[in-house]
Amino acid sequence: MGESNEDIDQMFSNLLGEMDLLTQSLGVDTLPPPDPKPPRAEFNYSVGFKDLNESLNALEDQDLDALMADLVADISEAEQRTIQAQKESSQNQHHPASPEMPDFSGAGALGYGANVVAVSVSHYENDLPPPPADPMVDLPLPPPPPEPLSQEEEAAQAKADKIKLALEKLKEAKVKKLVVKVHMNDNSTKSLMVDERQLTRDVLDNLFEKTHCDCNVDWCLYEIYTELQIERIFEDHENVVEVLSDWTRDTENKVLFLEKEEKYAVFKNPQNFYLDNKGKKEGKETNEKMNAKNKESLLEESFCGSSIIVPELEGALYLKEDGKKSWKRRYFLLRASGIYYVPKGKTKTSRDLACFIQFENVNIYYGIQCKMRYKAPTDYCFVLKHPQIQKESQYIKYLCCDNARTLNQWVMGIRIAKYGKTLYDNYQRAVARAGLASRWTNLGPASSAPPTTGLKAGTTQANGQIPQAVHSVSAVLEEAQRHAETAKDKKPALGNHEPGAPRAHQLPKSSLPPPPPVRRSSDVCGSPATVPRAKGRSGGFPAAPDDSLPPPPPPPPLEEDELPPPPPDFNDGPPDFVPPPPPSFAGDAGSQLPPPPPPPPAPAPEAPKPPPVGVKRPPAPPKRKENPGPPGGGGSGEQDFMSDLMKALQKKRGNMS
Amino acid sequence: MAGMKTATGDYIDSSWELQVFVGEEDPEAESVTLRVTGESHIGGVLLKIVEEIKRKQDWSDHAIWWEQKRQWLLQTHWTLDKYGILADARLFFGPQHRPIILRLPNRRALRLRASFSQPLFQAVAAICRLLSIRHPEELSLLRAPEKKEKKKKDKEPEEELYDLTKVVLAGGVAPALFRGMPAHFSDSAQTEACYHMLSRPQPPPDPALLQRLPRPSSLLDKTQLHSRWLDSSRCLMQQGITAGDMLWLRFKYYSFFDLDPKTDPVRLTQLYEQARWDLLLEETDCTEEEMMVFAALQYHINKLSQSGEVGEPTGTDPGLDDLDAALNNLEVKLEGSASTDVLDNLTTIPELKDYLRIFRPRKLTLKGYRQHWVVFKETTLSYYKSQDEAPGDPIQQLNLKGCEVVPDVNVSGQKFCIKLLVPSPEGMSEVYLRCQDEKQYAHWMAGCRLASKGRTMADSSYPSEVQAILAFLSLQRTGGGGSGGHPQGPDAAVEGLNPYGLVAPRFQRKFKAKQLTPRILEAHQNVAQLSLSEAQLRFIQAWQSLPDFGISYVVVRFKGSRKDEILGIANNRLIRIDLAVGDVVKTWRFSNMRQWNVNWDIRQVAIEFDEHINVAFSCISASCRIVHEYIGGYIFLSTRERARGEELDEDLFLQLTGGHEAF
Repeated sequence: MGESNEDIDQMFSNLLGEMDLLTQSLGVDTLPPPDPKPPRAEFNYSVGFKDLNESLNALEDQDLDALMADLVADISEAEQRTIQAQKESSQNQHHPASPEMPDFSGAGALGYGANVVAVSVSHYENDLPPPPADPMVDLPLPPPPPEPLSQEEEAAQAKADKIKLALEKLKEAKVKKLVVKVHMNDNSTKSLMVDERQLTRDVLDNLFEKTHCDCNVDWCLYEIYTELQIERIFEDHENVVEVLSDWTRDTENKVLFLEKEEKYAVFKNPQNFYLDNKGKKEGKETNEKMNAKNKESLLEESFCGSSIIVPELEGALYLKEDGKKSWKRRYFLLRASGIYYVPKGKTKTSRDLACFIQFENVNIYYGIQCKMRYKAPTDYCFVLKHPQIQKESQYIKYLCCDNARTLNQWVMGIRIAKYGKTLYDNYQRAVARAGLASRWTNLGPASSAPPTTGLKAGTTQANGQIPQAVHSVSAVLEEAQRHAETAKDKKPALGNHEPGAPRAHQLPKSSLPPPPPVRRSSDVCGSPATVPRAKGRSGGFPAAPDDSLPPPPPPPPLEEDELPPPPPDFNDGPPDFVPPPPPSFAGDAGSQLPPPPPPPPAPAPEAPKPPPVGVKRPPAPPKRKENPGPPGGGGSGEQDFMSDLMKALQKKRGNMS
Repeated sequence: MAGMKTATGDYIDSSWELQVFVGEEDPEAESVTLRVTGESHIGGVLLKIVEEIKRKQDWSDHAIWWEQKRQWLLQTHWTLDKYGILADARLFFGPQHRPIILRLPNRRALRLRASFSQPLFQAVAAICRLLSIRHPEELSLLRAPEKKEKKKKDKEPEEELYDLTKVVLAGGVAPALFRGMPAHFSDSAQTEACYHMLSRPQPPPDPALLQRLPRPSSLLDKTQLHSRWLDSSRCLMQQGITAGDMLWLRFKYYSFFDLDPKTDPVRLTQLYEQARWDLLLEETDCTEEEMMVFAALQYHINKLSQSGEVGEPTGTDPGLDDLDAALNNLEVKLEGSASTDVLDNLTTIPELKDYLRIFRPRKLTLKGYRQHWVVFKETTLSYYKSQDEAPGDPIQQLNLKGCEVVPDVNVSGQKFCIKLLVPSPEGMSEVYLRCQDEKQYAHWMAGCRLASKGRTMADSSYPSEVQAILAFLSLQRTGGGGSGGHPQGPDAAVEGLNPYGLVAPRFQRKFKAKQLTPRILEAHQNVAQLSLSEAQLRFIQAWQSLPDFGISYVVVRFKGSRKDEILGIANNRLIRIDLAVGDVVKTWRFSNMRQWNVNWDIRQVAIEFDEHINVAFSCISASCRIVHEYIGGYIFLSTRERARGEELDEDLFLQLTGGHEAF
């Protein structure tokens, strides 16, 4: 065993060494890399855990192959990037600055390095069949804008690129990586390499590539503590390596890749969490049928205000007593600051409540088979524990609900209280991802008329003046949502259509002011609160990490010969690949260029408004049937933040150079 | 024109004499008598009055108030006939803007001139513009509560009254900034001081005052406040307000739009103050843990504002500077997270090494504290039998990342312990570190705190953390130690802070100051890095996430019900609450509302929701106008959009909230 272990390690380090050489050969002629070739020892390719080592040993051939493919992909990526580096020109103006802020790429928060790498990897994966010309490409990686540059400029650029590449390699060499065995829902496993900068979202995207699943929002990484019999969903923003580092060496814990509809249940049916009538009259039926517009406004209200709203949740739960197998019924309440209970003989007013637990240091898990193991009253248990605790301990709190519904409410409520807005952001990214995937698969055959402009368009109408990108994004959101809902039935998602189409359809509508909040006889419902979720965060997703990249330029004029060839993703696609419509789709959500060619009829500021409210209107008569809505103003404040950020970045660069 | 006479002095036209008093509603005011006809225009009458008075003065703000009808005659092109004015009308020619005293959300008093002739909505908008508070639609004025005369008035010290009556604001555009404040504040030292009062948080109140101020003891008490709101669609004059009256300015609608610390220092501060008083006076209840967080934030905010670190630089382009700072911040954070980088600068990481006494509570052990040589490096604590053995293997090593750090301190007892709850795969292990003195304690404590968040003592916040701990210890010495549990000790207010000024009075009864201090300190560690405006924002957000936040209570009687109940009005829903028990009976959301109607005669509000749910109630503790205005106001606020910016759709507001004067 030890031997084969070594073998594999040896193999890896050889491969990685090769990568290094490649990298080095880039830099060698133009510049000495800032630091000579990193010593092998620093190449901290750590296979973190004993079990992982073991799992490596136990790997099926195919798994090993896949792993190799990963690594090879890494290398070929490096190759490709040298080529690309020549091509990329104006995009890279920020590169000289990168040595001073190496961690931008590392965190992936700004998405320079990490994401780009992740994406391009997927493209040069030799061993896997090329993913059906992944639409991802135009999302995060705007095609390099090949503006004709003078020779010197080009040379300078190339040099800068090489410096950057070299630095990145150096840094990458220090990045901790784990090989993680992920259990699929068909009982197979896949081994993945996860580096310490990757968030769950990145790993999921990676898995999407590998599995060709439908990418819907329910897919999640799921950790199971075999010994403690607890499990939970990885949140999309969690750092995978960090979570796994809490496991002990001999752990039997597992990571699964599966669909859990609980993951984002609150965003699909917020009413079940926010408007539950505490079972007063099992009014579930009416609840379930909330229309999309109201859902939207409910979410907007709960997650997009200046502070998020935690669902009001209270009720009797069973608490497992420390170290005993007895359960005590207590009345618990959820608040943003933690879980509280009503002490004996007290009322449930705020002042009497006693704090049971706060969420800062604990994660929430589902308990499995607690009935059998701990004599729990029901099997609907949730567990709170510090992530580092791996063995049974008095510091693990077990709570037991009466039914599955309450369990789900509590778990979701606690997640909302703990993660706040992040959860919503995660969801939106997931939806955007799912939307892209589903859009792509349906792009070819039928671009039928968008079936849903009616009702759903209403949800975005309040922001007629927010740039169109937002619309298309929310269109994707809706679409993906629909897709997510239909996917379960294995039906092909309805209503996926040409990206241009829905937008053209929606815009005229959306530039109308919201339905007026009419005081008397008309429909007040929803309209005031339907200010779309895009408000205030239009730049925040789905291209969020890439916002700081220069906006996608118009597609390169191909006929000019001395221009660098178009980006590889246009070249490398299968021959029958229809290039996606100009990258106007989601990639420009955060960019500050004027919207790309297909200009919507956008009558935004001068849109036909309801007759303006007369200034000298006599005192409002008591019998009004209709009130004119507030006029949609022009101009968007949305882009300001981004441009500020750009300015700041530029300024910063100026300071450094 | 009017007043044609024959040679004998008889009037031959239909003119008559109109007496107009000059000045505010004062029966002994001087008066002028004019000769007018029914066709005289108000403008002409005004001109005549001015001629008649024969005094050089700026009369532009003056207008005629018709006392009997309680109405301003503002339409200068209307004739007297059109207004229906006859010779018996009591008219007063007085200024439209008159001084009032405003009690601000921060409880300071400010004298300024407010419009007595415009609808209150506009008057408030003008006031807010003067005070540079954006989104005036969220605020309104209340009548000051009637003073109870039982206490001798002269005992109250004369409070400082800020004066802005002389400040005139150029109309139209938002005032430009000058020297970091709106230009109209920078005229004199006095107005500048006023701006500081407005834009900076006030120091914590005297605990004794807190004890004395009235606090609601039941839901019923909480309804009192809401009966005092003034009517937005009528002017101050019509509501019986006279010059010099005291009015309260408060955020009325709990739906705060686009809070931006950079452009909103006054708004943010006043909102913070309102939130703070709301919590201190127990208008909104919170739990003990939440109160500690609020107290810690107040302490932090006060510390920052006292030390003059007002956060926002007044430099050339604060927006960009902030971004730069944010980016720097980001870099620091990113660097902090990559442990490999930390390794690289190993030399720069300070260590702590000292003899400390350590205690590990275990079952069935009687061992107490034992002296150990403890080394604290990065986030790891290692201890050895003695210094000599330090190069070898430690007895135990604890990685403090993710651990819980709890102070266990008694200053007067000279006990400085740090309780650590260190997570490990097996559970949490408890360790106590006992330090010799405050200084040692502060350094180790600060280190432990940073380590628990995965940062090392190389972190830039380390020195300030040490200082904060020392400051808090000294606070504890003065606050709790000396005066034997009596918070009102005179020295308490002088030196440092009294923790009692940071919490609601019921916690004053529940805890001694020395119990309170460490808990506040504990909560403080999580907020110590915030800037002033961030801390204020955090405070407001925490306030907003309280379950009871933002509910205005009114006593109502539902149609078909025999007993009084409470109606809670929040920004998104109406809540029916049992008056006796306080339980929520039913919730209706505005988003399901189809229409509402007010029957002014029987003072009943009827609301129709989706699915033909109808609700009707009559209002008892407040007039139904107030309930109506609350509902309409919230509907109005929910139509606001970012893109519309500052402009206000006043007509819509008045449509949604007004209407009753038609009857």
